Amino acid sequence: MSCVAVKTWMLREPSSLADILADARVWKLKDASAAPARPVWSTGLSSLDARLPGGGWPTASLIEVLLDETGLGEVQLFLPALVACQRSTQDSREAPWLVWIAPPHEPYAPALAQQGIELGRLLVVRPSTATEALWAAEQALSSGVCAAVLLWLKGTDDRWLRRLKLAAEAGGSLGVLFRPARHRFESSPANLRLSLSRGSPCARVDLLKVQGGRPGPVDLGGP
Amino acid sequence: MKLRSAKSRTADLFAADYRSAVRRPDASPAPQPIAPLAPLAPLAPLSMAPPLTAAPHPLSRSPRRQLWYAAVFPQMTQLEPSVLQKLCLHAQAFTSFVSIEPPNALLLEIKGSVKLFGSLQRLHADIDACWRQLALPVRSATAPSTLAALWLARAGDPLQIEDVEMLPGHLAKVPIACTAWDGELLQTLRAMGVTSLSELMRLPRAGLARRLNPAVVQELDIALARQPAPRRAFVPRERFRERCDFETEIEHVAYLEKALDPLIERCAQFLLKRQAGVQALQLRLKHREAPATRVQLGLASITSEQRRLTDVLRQKLTGLELKAPVRGMELISGALRALSASSLDAFAGLTRAGSRDSAPQLVERLRARLGEEAVYGVCLIAEHRPEAAWRRVHELRLTGAPQVAEGMIDQGMPRPVWLLNEPLPLTKPQLLQGPERIESGWWDGKGVARDYYVARTPAGHPQGIRLWVFQERQSKRWYVHGVFA
Repeated sequence: MSCVAVKTWMLREPSSLADILADARVWKLKDASAAPARPVWSTGLSSLDARLPGGGWPTASLIEVLLDETGLGEVQLFLPALVACQRSTQDSREAPWLVWIAPPHEPYAPALAQQGIELGRLLVVRPSTATEALWAAEQALSSGVCAAVLLWLKGTDDRWLRRLKLAAEAGGSLGVLFRPARHRFESSPANLRLSLSRGSPCARVDLLKVQGGRPGPVDLGGP
Repeated sequence: MKLRSAKSRTADLFAADYRSAVRRPDASPAPQPIAPLAPLAPLAPLSMAPPLTAAPHPLSRSPRRQLWYAAVFPQMTQLEPSVLQKLCLHAQAFTSFVSIEPPNALLLEIKGSVKLFGSLQRLHADIDACWRQLALPVRSATAPSTLAALWLARAGDPLQIEDVEMLPGHLAKVPIACTAWDGELLQTLRAMGVTSLSELMRLPRAGLARRLNPAVVQELDIALARQPAPRRAFVPRERFRERCDFETEIEHVAYLEKALDPLIERCAQFLLKRQAGVQALQLRLKHREAPATRVQLGLASITSEQRRLTDVLRQKLTGLELKAPVRGMELISGALRALSASSLDAFAGLTRAGSRDSAPQLVERLRARLGEEAVYGVCLIAEHRPEAAWRRVHELRLTGAPQVAEGMIDQGMPRPVWLLNEPLPLTKPQLLQGPERIESGWWDGKGVARDYYVARTPAGHPQGIRLWVFQERQSKRWYVHGVFA
């Protein structure tokens, strides 16, 4: 009887580093060079890729972009990734959808086609309220048919962001949320946060939060 | 042997000319011609018609096993198609094959029902009683061919003829006006001294066809059951329609959703049994006094899936504000449509592991809550003017491969991601790239003559934003038309 008790106790005792790492309660800090569990899409900018874990935008996650005005090349940051994920499937019938919710202007079809976006697989949604926009984003992210969902919002609360992140993880799609820069100092559950501001000759990118990477400003010297 | 040859000659004469048929006394049954045993004509009335040129053999091909009941509603000269369809539904109590003869008559194939109803007399009386119950004055007749029954009914002879051989005698008395041929033809016949079918049948067949109309001879053949006349059966348009009344009045939408589930389940089963789908549904919520609330919903594609129907109905209900407590509800489907093979793809769910629903499902859920106009796609138009080179698409191609517009993609000057709805005036900016001259549209009054440039925000503004600007060639004014985001 005592023998069994000793054995149980022995099993509970961590014996090696591998055992400790296998424990789900232990949180591991990965470095940027470590291969991520999920696939990534390149941003098209080598200097930005180098700073992101895995070398690109992570899929099945929520990315928050903080900016005060449009025209800083914020969509251009994601277009190569959108093209890549639309072309990732062999069968064109299976090509995933892109959903743009409440964009500030009309997405200009010739520009998107020029960049290589499959227009037949692009959906524009114009909700009348912010709550409807968030609801639409959650539906699109969790549906599993959308590769990426881009959402433009004036403001939202923490609870909705958490829901969006869970939906993105459940549906395996990339969620991108564009918000005004005043939300910069609020806490956010997003996997990746970056702020965009004016700069010369091109916009300044500042990584605010990077899961598995180092935050800080990014030098976009060369393309 | 001698007898046999004589009789078969009679049969040939009978085939060749109507006169032989008319000369026979009406009441006495015609002698049975000894011919090779006539193969049984198929019961299905839509049998293949022989080519019109070939003279039909009277016995081998005749649709002898058919018996047609015709009902003509003389007081209603022009019946609405919907009324006739309703009458068809009544008539389907007696036979499965009912056919509409516009404008005001029905034809019922009742051969198979005679045994079930006991006798032809009883069946005929029962069908007549059905019209009497509906307070419809009717003239009816039964004959082995469609046109004979119809003509006899129009003539007002309530006859029940079972035997093909009796047809010529009975039809002889029918005035030619009952055939409903066109007025000109009837006028010509009257001028020839022909007022009844007996006189018409006495005329030589070939001459009749040549001088009047081949259709006259053909219709006579059909009436005398010498030539089959396929008819289109009436198929009732089916809808799912079921109601459920509540014991207590319901004030909350959440309870409605619970009560809706069994209705949707039965609707899905109804559709599954018919291998059909719907694209529209209507839910009526009944109130004590106020008129019923109608909830219309459209689906992005034809479906019979219970989960999708539930999904869309729920979304629609959550946005609904009840104006009064609900006493009962009714679910009505739109027209049933055939399910396409793609919507029955059993492996669709397996190929994309973990996917929760399909693109049509997502779109219709978004549309159910946000409105039809709020969800759209974009497409290219082969057009030089930038504002006309694209448009919104509301009819989305949700399944299958997307169409690729290779030739329309302009790989020259860059285009901005955002296009402003209206060009905005600005001072001369710092130009980075260009010009690209666009001059087009002089033919429709919206002509443009512009030089486009990629530019940076003008002096005095903070730097860093790339714009798509143009200078109007006539006024030399500068406008911003797009933003490179």
